[in-house]
Amino acid sequence: MKILGKYYKQFFLRGLVAMGFGPIVLAIVYLILGITGVAEAISVYEMALGIITITALAFLCGGITVVYQIEEMAISKAITLHGIIIYIAYAVVYLTNDWLAEGTAPFLIFTAIFIVGYLLVWLIIYFVTKRGTKKLNIGLKNKAE
Amino acid sequence: MKFKLIIEEGCEEEIVAKVHSANDLTSKIEDLVLSYVENDEITVRGDYELLTLKFAEIECITVIDRKVYVIDKRANKYRTSGTLSDIEKALPSYFIRINKSSIANERKISCFKTSFSGGVDAIFKSGYKDYVSRRCFGEIKRRYKI
Repeated sequence: MKILGKYYKQFFLRGLVAMGFGPIVLAIVYLILGITGVAEAISVYEMALGIITITALAFLCGGITVVYQIEEMAISKAITLHGIIIYIAYAVVYLTNDWLAEGTAPFLIFTAIFIVGYLLVWLIIYFVTKRGTKKLNIGLKNKAE
Repeated sequence: MKFKLIIEEGCEEEIVAKVHSANDLTSKIEDLVLSYVENDEITVRGDYELLTLKFAEIECITVIDRKVYVIDKRANKYRTSGTLSDIEKALPSYFIRINKSSIANERKISCFKTSFSGGVDAIFKSGYKDYVSRRCFGEIKRRYKI
């Protein structure tokens, strides 16, 4: 929170906007599990725990995007901080809800998928930025002529 | 094409071009008029004396540790007084914000470069570089009508 400093208000606002999507995503996942026959009955406890933790996760995921608004923070630091916080949050929620099978292997697979997914997103951002920079250089060149 | 110069003391100065359509000439006139400022220099602190730097010689004006510095075309750094926003008001239109702490002379930017971290840097002709914030990146894109 210290790093967020004056951005704490934005953190809460972004979190509040995002948190509504958590239960919707959870409902879609449960629906898919139900339709495919993977899960037919979920206890009240499981459902309540799922809704509460997913809402909290969505709040955190939405709020933490504020790190990209902190100009003083280098983008590499922002990406790293964002990645670590999201990873920890996902891991805690998955473990709390027993969505990960016991043992080291499932956890390592979860970590690997997370890293690959995060790298993929980072690569997309990198290439989109690179394309934007190329256009900027064309604009700069045209302006100079 | 005719050229008409009306000299009238005390009137509000303006340059009007009457043409059939916008073209290279009107763009050049627009650039020239918008980038024109009566006072085209800034006072900076040298090692032992106060110096004046022409705006055209400046690459970047930046804030480091809450102090405003002017970086010239040889990448020399000079302290100057005033706030960045006050200085910005006096600058011609070829100076652009690249982040909340830096204003760059667009004519002295050699290129923009994507860093490995996914950020964008403005590389100046002297070799000096400064980052372009995401907000300013969008504004520069709009400026170039991209």
